[in-house]
Amino acid sequence: MTKHFACTACGKCCYGLLPLTFKDAFANIGRFPLCLSWTPVLKGSKDFPMVKTLGVTITVAKGQELAVLIVPTSFIPSSLPCPALQADNLCGIHESKPSRCKTMPFYPYRDERFQAELTNPRPGWECDTSTSAPLVYQEQKIVDREDFDRERQELLDEVPLLRRYADYMFKYSHSLPNNLMFSVGKTKAHQVVTSLSSFLTATQNTDARNIAQQQLPILKTYAEQTAGDPKLAFFHNNYVNWSKEMAYLAK
Amino acid sequence: MKTCPCGSKSFFDDCCGPIISGTPASTAEALVRSRYTAFVVGSLDHVERTHAPEIRSDFNRAEAERLVTDCEWHGLRIHNVHETGDTAEIAFVIRFRHNQKLITKGSLSKFRRDDGHWYYLSNSPAPHIAEFRGAKLGRNEPCHCNSGKKFKKCCGSGIEQSGA
Repeated sequence: MTKHFACTACGKCCYGLLPLTFKDAFANIGRFPLCLSWTPVLKGSKDFPMVKTLGVTITVAKGQELAVLIVPTSFIPSSLPCPALQADNLCGIHESKPSRCKTMPFYPYRDERFQAELTNPRPGWECDTSTSAPLVYQEQKIVDREDFDRERQELLDEVPLLRRYADYMFKYSHSLPNNLMFSVGKTKAHQVVTSLSSFLTATQNTDARNIAQQQLPILKTYAEQTAGDPKLAFFHNNYVNWSKEMAYLAK
Repeated sequence: MKTCPCGSKSFFDDCCGPIISGTPASTAEALVRSRYTAFVVGSLDHVERTHAPEIRSDFNRAEAERLVTDCEWHGLRIHNVHETGDTAEIAFVIRFRHNQKLITKGSLSKFRRDDGHWYYLSNSPAPHIAEFRGAKLGRNEPCHCNSGKKFKKCCGSGIEQSGA
């Protein structure tokens, strides 16, 4: 199978949740509203081995094994654009944009053999996938693999940090395994998210005050933007809660 | 003088007050009561100080401070105390309202005494205690949070009555 792809700069993929490396998350601490998002994958899923490599594995009820991706995430509802997206639909931080954006349409959280479907535009996206667009994928390999490999390596490098955080969360949040089990296969609206404050505590971050000072105004802005819309209540309530925690740390 | 939020029926100044101010708790149970009361009155220095040194940096103070303001505290009930020498295990239930939801949380916590000071060590969930408690208290009985109201008008509001 061969796949062709060219970005037409329609800006449609610059909406909603954006998974980040820890490096990119902290480099953009004054730009994105951040949280940690937990995505469980059942044993037997084609993504299970890769998620096991990049995340953590837990055993839940009846010996069921669950692999979980824990990803620093720009926590933005799908109806709202990335704060770096300009009016002309171009990226305001193109040169230094996160690895996740550079690697699009590919996704190194998934095995390279399963990347073909990721070149298919989602509804409303205007990607050029005609044969006149460059060949980007053939024989289960990505043709121009520089960005994919770099992002994958960054994810691998961050696994020890991520597992340290997971150990902390499983030690102190006894409801977490159940919540993860419940969110298997559910939509993004039911996904498990945890706070930046828990990550800063778990990793004993000595720069917490500075981080909180930069994050606080972002969370407040998103809390205002999402106020009063019942469909965005999940986002709004989290922005409000995390604002309180960042306000305490920023003091 | 106000009664202590921990439910001991003593005055705050004769109960958790002095412990929160720094007087060592004489028993592990007194420490549990004072740590609960510290959340009610918003004195989290006491909670942080009485985490065992090896887990103190794990205390997410920012989150705890948020819970102090976001939760309405409805009461503490001590169920079982096993204090032997310098270690203790205590089963207890706290009830609180958070995001309009009434939450009953049963816990089994471990404590250790170092140089006359009791410290909190660890916690595991004990949901069976909470269920037992909920089943036992009648809707028209006085609420265990010592509000003076009937259970059904207080912590029991919004709880479906079981058929039993």
